[in-house]
Amino acid sequence: MCDTCGCGSNSTTFTKHGEKEHHHGDGHHHDHDHDHGHNHDHSHEHDHSTHTHGRTIEVEQDVLGENNLLAQRNRGYFEAKNIFALNLVSSPGSGKTTLLEKTLVELQDVPSAVIEGDQQTMNDADRVAATGVPVLQINTGNGCHLDANMIHTAYGELELKNDSVLFIENVGNLVCPALFDLGENKRVVIISVTEGEDKPAKYPTMFDAADICIINKIDLLPYVEFDVARCKEHALKVNHQLEFFELSATTGEGMDTWLSWLRDNLK
Amino acid sequence: MHEMSIAINIVSIARKEAEKESAPSISMIELEVGKLAGVMVDSLQFCYEAACKGTLAEGSELQIIELEGQAKCMQCGNVFTIDSFMAICPKCDTYEIEIIQGKELRLKAISINEEGSSHV
Repeated sequence: MCDTCGCGSNSTTFTKHGEKEHHHGDGHHHDHDHDHGHNHDHSHEHDHSTHTHGRTIEVEQDVLGENNLLAQRNRGYFEAKNIFALNLVSSPGSGKTTLLEKTLVELQDVPSAVIEGDQQTMNDADRVAATGVPVLQINTGNGCHLDANMIHTAYGELELKNDSVLFIENVGNLVCPALFDLGENKRVVIISVTEGEDKPAKYPTMFDAADICIINKIDLLPYVEFDVARCKEHALKVNHQLEFFELSATTGEGMDTWLSWLRDNLK
Repeated sequence: MHEMSIAINIVSIARKEAEKESAPSISMIELEVGKLAGVMVDSLQFCYEAACKGTLAEGSELQIIELEGQAKCMQCGNVFTIDSFMAICPKCDTYEIEIIQGKELRLKAISINEEGSSHV
């Protein structure tokens, strides 16, 4: 049930920054009728009364097939408009939103847009909107991840520009978003030095599914027991193709390398 | 708890298949789950029951076939069994491996009930 208006349908809401009204995703119901006209004529010669009997049907379908198909549709849309889409994932509190704010300020010459995913509140959308970048907040209600269909609804409202960058800030959760392709070009996992350096070993599914790993809050390294080399070692054991950026979104240290990587990918 | 949305997807796929056959109910769903799929089997079983409520699959059984992980070494081509993402090729000690099995989440088959008619 929607916590804002109390309607009972879809608990996910989509709100553009600056608008008071929100709406619910339509959920894309594809109800194709498949009438194959099977004739199951029984020509048994024996007597039997009404009964039920079982039959096994081979299905062989990927359970996440519908999401993957929609993700591919999103990917095609991004490609056609030359949009570089990033899916930012992390545990809550890694500094995703601060990194995003600082990145957007530095990238002001590049058309950008943001899709924010949180269970509740417009807080992150408000912070992003202060940078002047168009932002849409998805509140998943009780949902623990964004999915491809939510992204499809969201970018429909954002009116994305050609040759732009789209940042999708996923729900803070290092487990569930790993399974849901959104159609992004790159998946970026963010870990901060105030977390355990063995996080990649503890949550391998997410690190396996990521392309980029950002180690954030490196300005705090003198005060915490976090060995960057060991963290990278753990992450590379899970996914030997991961690319790393070490930075502090707060002090700006290391931001240059990240920003030039972004610019290189926007060409 | 992404297991809940996965359970809902499973029931939705099964329901569409059963409706194509005009089956009154589903008795069993057979699912392949790779050990590296990122899905907790116990949690999925628990969510499945809830996802089935009020559908053709209410009261049905979820039969899970767990698939073990398999990797191929990108250095020497050795294929070996793995039980985690942090696996090393036993032949050349490298982490440069490609996972070739274990991430599956596939609905294999469903068993449906069919109503027979009375005839001679």
